[in-house]
Amino acid sequence: MFYSPVITNASEVSDANGLHLFRYVEDAQQHRIEQYEQHGGYSALRKVLTSMTPEAVTEEVKKSGLRGRGGAGFPAGMKWGFVPKGSTKPRYLCCNADESEPGTCKDRVLMERDPHAVIEGMAIAAYAIGCHLMFIYIRGEFNHCIDRMEAAMAEAYARGHLGKNIYGAGYDLDMIVHTGGGAYICGEETALLNSLEGERGMSRIRPPFPAIEGLYACPTIVNNVETLAAVPHIINRGADWYRSLGTERSTGTKVFSLSGHVKRPGNYEVEMSFPLKRLIYDPAYGGGILGDKKLKGVIPGGASTPFLTPDMVDVKLDYESLAAVGSMLGSGAVIVFHEETCIVWVILKLIHFFRHESCGKCTPCREGTAWLEQIIGRIEHGQGKAGDIEMIEEICGNILGRTICPLGDAAVMPIQSAVKHWRDEWQHHIVHRKCQSPTTFAFA
Amino acid sequence: MILSQDSIRQIREKAARYPHAKSAILPALTIACRQVGHLNDDIYEEVAQVINVPFVEIAEAASFYTLFPKQPVGKYLIQVCHNISCALLGADALVEYLEQKLGIKKGETSADNLFTLITVECLGSCCTAPAMQINQDFYENLTREKVDHILDELRVRV
Amino acid sequence: MSVTDDFCLRVNRTMTEATKQAATERAPAQTVSLTIDGRPVTVIRGTTVLEAAAQLGIHIPSFCWHPKLKPVGACRMCYVEIERFPKLQVSCATEATDGMVVLTDSDKVRQGRRAVLEFILVNHPLDCPTCDKGGECDLQNLTFAHGFDDSRFEFQKARFAGPGVTTTFDDLRIGPEIILNRNRCILCFKCVRANKEAFGEYDLGAYERGNSTEINAAPGHQVDNPFSGNLVEICPVGALTNTDWRYKIRVWLTKTTPSMDNFFSSGANILFYKEDHQNRVFRVTSRRNDEIDDGWLADVTRYGYQIVNSPERLVTPLIKKDGRLVPASWEEALQLVAQRFGDIKEKKGGVCIGGLAAPYLDNASLYSFARFFRTVIRCNNIDFRSDYRMLPDNPESQFSNLCSRPFRIADIDDSDVTVIFGSDLIREHPGEYLRLRKARNFGHPRIYSLTPYAVKSADVADRAIVYKPGTEELVINALCLAAAEQGLVDSSAAAQLKDKISSHTFAEATRRCGVSEADLLAVAGSLAEGRMVTFIVGEIVAQSKARETIATAIANLDHLLGLSRRGQVAVLARYANSKGAERLGLLPRPTEAIAKELAAIWGDFPDSPAYPTDAMAALMKKGELDGFFILGANPMMLYPDRAFMKEGLEKLDFLVVCDMFETETTALADVVLPLSSWAEFTGDYVNLEGRVQRAYQAVKPSGQSRPGFEIMTMLAEKFGEPLFESAESMAQEIERLLRLETTPKTPSEFAEVKVSEEANDDAYPIALFVVDDAHHSGHLTEKAPSLTSFAGEAYVEMSPDLAARMEIENGDAVRVEAESGRIIVPARISEHLNTDVILIPRNFSATPVTSLLSRKRRVDRVKLLKVDH
Ligand SMILES: Cc1cc2nc3c(=O)[nH]c(=O)nc-3n(C[C@H](O)[C@H](O)[C@H](O)COP(=O)(O)O)c2cc1C
Ligand code: SF4
Ligand code: FES
Repeated sequence: MFYSPVITNASEVSDANGLHLFRYVEDAQQHRIEQYEQHGGYSALRKVLTSMTPEAVTEEVKKSGLRGRGGAGFPAGMKWGFVPKGSTKPRYLCCNADESEPGTCKDRVLMERDPHAVIEGMAIAAYAIGCHLMFIYIRGEFNHCIDRMEAAMAEAYARGHLGKNIYGAGYDLDMIVHTGGGAYICGEETALLNSLEGERGMSRIRPPFPAIEGLYACPTIVNNVETLAAVPHIINRGADWYRSLGTERSTGTKVFSLSGHVKRPGNYEVEMSFPLKRLIYDPAYGGGILGDKKLKGVIPGGASTPFLTPDMVDVKLDYESLAAVGSMLGSGAVIVFHEETCIVWVILKLIHFFRHESCGKCTPCREGTAWLEQIIGRIEHGQGKAGDIEMIEEICGNILGRTICPLGDAAVMPIQSAVKHWRDEWQHHIVHRKCQSPTTFAFA
Repeated sequence: MILSQDSIRQIREKAARYPHAKSAILPALTIACRQVGHLNDDIYEEVAQVINVPFVEIAEAASFYTLFPKQPVGKYLIQVCHNISCALLGADALVEYLEQKLGIKKGETSADNLFTLITVECLGSCCTAPAMQINQDFYENLTREKVDHILDELRVRV
Repeated sequence: MSVTDDFCLRVNRTMTEATKQAATERAPAQTVSLTIDGRPVTVIRGTTVLEAAAQLGIHIPSFCWHPKLKPVGACRMCYVEIERFPKLQVSCATEATDGMVVLTDSDKVRQGRRAVLEFILVNHPLDCPTCDKGGECDLQNLTFAHGFDDSRFEFQKARFAGPGVTTTFDDLRIGPEIILNRNRCILCFKCVRANKEAFGEYDLGAYERGNSTEINAAPGHQVDNPFSGNLVEICPVGALTNTDWRYKIRVWLTKTTPSMDNFFSSGANILFYKEDHQNRVFRVTSRRNDEIDDGWLADVTRYGYQIVNSPERLVTPLIKKDGRLVPASWEEALQLVAQRFGDIKEKKGGVCIGGLAAPYLDNASLYSFARFFRTVIRCNNIDFRSDYRMLPDNPESQFSNLCSRPFRIADIDDSDVTVIFGSDLIREHPGEYLRLRKARNFGHPRIYSLTPYAVKSADVADRAIVYKPGTEELVINALCLAAAEQGLVDSSAAAQLKDKISSHTFAEATRRCGVSEADLLAVAGSLAEGRMVTFIVGEIVAQSKARETIATAIANLDHLLGLSRRGQVAVLARYANSKGAERLGLLPRPTEAIAKELAAIWGDFPDSPAYPTDAMAALMKKGELDGFFILGANPMMLYPDRAFMKEGLEKLDFLVVCDMFETETTALADVVLPLSSWAEFTGDYVNLEGRVQRAYQAVKPSGQSRPGFEIMTMLAEKFGEPLFESAESMAQEIERLLRLETTPKTPSEFAEVKVSEEANDDAYPIALFVVDDAHHSGHLTEKAPSLTSFAGEAYVEMSPDLAARMEIENGDAVRVEAESGRIIVPARISEHLNTDVILIPRNFSATPVTSLLSRKRRVDRVKLLKVDH
């Protein structure tokens, strides 16, 4: 029925529990504009264009407390407010659909199954910042999403939701679906802008921040797919309603991509502050650990966030609670692994990824990730040496906080936490030249 | 010319929509790669002509992005995700299984030029792991049985 | 010079471009005060921490920072600690703010830098003993400073290998001069950034990503752009080296001598690297002067010094005996010259003798040349222009006036409107082209290029306008009319102007010169609005027979819009000392002010007719000029009507030529005298701005060669009329002339412009322009092997369209035929040309392109024929 067979919790969504992003993601017709409109689609855009000023829209989003779902959790309304008022330069909006953080596959569902919600959210944001040309940057592998977004865009043009003088309100808006070329770094907003300009996807130093000088040196707002998809709901139901969900500083709902050693991996929309344990074990969600083995660790927010150990899984899934236990909400990708997983093996997978995806601009990231991969690879292959762990820690310390973009940090934070939490296991690996828990994951 | 008239038309149409022609580099490469199956310097030269951007900029950008093979590949390019979520569910074993079934090693192309097998970073199919992409299509929640079936189907298609 | 001194010098000379831009955009300039290492400093808002530190003499190490490029913050070497920032910050990209407290040498900073160095060294080969950068390598110096003794990296270093790698050292030749060693590269990206950003060139790139990133030439291409040598100079390590310098000598064995460029008129500041025992110059690098060159050198400037070392240099005087030039002593040669010129003077008068000096010679040589002719020979037949035809002899003409108008190179930075009129800027004034690019990169100027054929340098322009060859005055008239018709000027001025330009309307003029009305309206509008205007008039106008008419039209435009009051309008001087020649009285008729001053100095000024170069050649033909003395010039190669010049020179009774090399002109001489190069004596030169700069002697003169001023004084002594009492008195006389207030007239009324259009010629349908190859300038550069490795022979540049119609492919032999002659040259298809105009460089002696030119024509026309083998 769907291109992506991923499990969702759409059936759980109701007005009462406030879940909204996933309301129609199990509706096979939702991607068609008739169906979307039938479900009240584009009413928020109409409301905004015909009865609200751009400032009022920004204000409403500010008030809702909506924070960016791409990883950094920056308040969306506040970011929009940074666009210089007096500037005569064109402004741009880029929806970040590069979704490449290992473990993350939530934007993909939204784009595939409810593409108009993304377009509507983008259009509202565009109006709020005074933009007349908006982009969605979709990772090149997502052919199906690209086709869906292109088709939805064509429909939206045809029905007058995009184009010239939308709803007769005197506002023009064009849209371009742009596709990536296979580079995780292009999810980082400044690298994304470079890539969109046809450059190599290398990040840029900030300041200037994109909101001041972004695409083509013009004010530009970059927001994640999920962030923007929430915007129409905030407009329709009000900032107060949105604030009523979650906590003071983590409002609304969030989609978590649950993967790894769980019985029911899938995308689940839950209210902010949802218990992590419940997400993993509740039969309505993860349904417990595969083979009912013991949990060994969890990466709570995508491959670039620090690990949680079993004694930490009582944490709630919101920005502040995860920060309190030394990790991050990130993109909301919860990766679970059980007792039979070798931590060195996990880390080798991750550092290989970050080394492969480093853009190569900053010396510490470029050279450091490669060096780390070699040392960790040596340990994993039974050739570790005394002092390797300290060396790893030192190299990590020399990368952390020393690079232009957070990819350098992202590469080392999981390593640092893994060394901290499972130091004995690393030692064992070096001394005994093999895994404590030999990893041989079968494939069904 | 390597690029077909149709590809050129598509590239021109795309390029015309951007405020700056250089932005059309990635879309143009995508279109070219879809037609040819891989990219090389000759194609960069042609793309440079079509969108009127210096050749070196195309070559630099293209080399940065890993989605485009820079060498000819088989009719089916099998890209298996070997990143963490897929690996936890047996991606390494999946690669081995494919190597065995296709009689080639990772990075190689089968003698009949039908299959090229490579591993790639996270495909965004983490909740439906293990996963692979063959040409434009994703195949998810893979099992041995599914893999057998997929390969059979692809063989039949030619 | 230590690393630190050099660094501070570089920074202190001026603000970097980013700062300057920030400062001007936030006018009035505001300052911020901060503390660096406990010392207070106040800087202009927008200054980076790195530059602020430099103002205190504090050197912050860096690899990727360059004062003329936008900061990228890639190498992470320039860390500093800033109060209230938990992380180390890169000083190259962090703006200084009020109250900031910065530490540049704390433990944390040192640790951070050490870590970066260690990371860089992970894959660096440490092949310092065989590396040419040794002794001047930033990485070597910083590693030394940070005290590394051992590497903790225990793995195989990443190594480049593969096709084209010639040795274990991974030496790739990526251009005629440049060798790349990718293993040594530390990925500061300065070369690629400079190439694209500062030079507008696209032959070098960065490929792949992460730790596989590599720098290389554009696949299948060569890094052969006219600024490529700079890439080698700015590389912080030995990744880019050039064949010019490589493996010839270690840098610490050389000494440097400050000097100047001798090929272009801006007078870029350079350093000669020389070795005394071998009496040889080994290379040239920039001696950055932000008011002139910004630290960039054209390749011609960088490699042109090789002519000094050339084995082909003339080392003794030569005298023609039985039709052959044979070596002679100076005494013998000078005696002969004095005797023959003395005879002519006695029998027919000094007016039957003439002289031609080269405008790249120093002040002393030019001045003593002029003094010799006017006071010893007692004639006014002297000139320094050998490559212009039909020269005006009136020093107060509109054209002469336009040539002597003031111009400041650095004002290009601040001009918000710049027009390049009739100039292929890269070939004529490469330094000024780079400056325009910089203005574009760091600001928002409006730039227009107006030329009779498409030029590469127009890539800096908002609009590149191509007009029909030979319609310059119509273009300018159209600009005037546009301003008048669009109400950009007050109506009485508009009416007065229209009175003088009555033969056509704006619409008609644009049609006749083949440009769009919208383009010219845009230029006129910008010129009218510009806060500060730079209007560069180039060689295409200067070379035109109609130069006087065009200059008149420009004067109208200037007067109409008041351009000179808001900026600068000038014909840029062409050669290293053209300006000096003009100011020192080398024109046959100098301006009244100069003539008066000369009369005052000498107590006398000859009252005889004065003939410019081509008039002299005409007199030779008629047998009315018998003796001729050429100092450094090569009119046979450069005069744009070779047959005419040749006939003249051949008719002479007695021809003396001083040069560094044997040339087509020395071949006709009766006496040849060996001339020293500018590296071999100390001399002063006046750049296009009128700035006097000194080039110091780096090496001893080659063979028996002598500087021009010595030759002239020795000769005068043979006449028994010494030129100067002493070297000091010569210097004083020159100084008096250079100090002379020259207030060129700003146009104050409109003048009639007589439009002269040449009809097309069906038999010779294609317009020919003779140009300089971007790697050659004038006639000497052919003797520099590095420069000939870029271009070793002449070619005919044509548009792809013209080539296709003639079924000509790159490299095909083409016969180019004019009424006056024909040559055969290989074709070079040039993507940016798009009309039926061809270009042929004049710098190659094997291809006498000037034989296709006729001094009677305004636009030279030819026909092409593909030669089948
Ligand atoms: C290495 C790296 C990769 C990133 N990848 C993504 C991504 O795939 N999708 C995304 O939305 N944000 C990604 N981000 C975060 C973006 O830089 C940016 O913060 C975000 O798109 C802003 O949108 P938001 O405020 O709506 O979250 C990434 C950041 C980094 C440092
Ligand atoms: S941290 Fe890594 S990925 Fe980010 S800019 Fe620096 S080198 Fe590139
Ligand atoms: S000089 Fe500042 S990061 Fe390189």
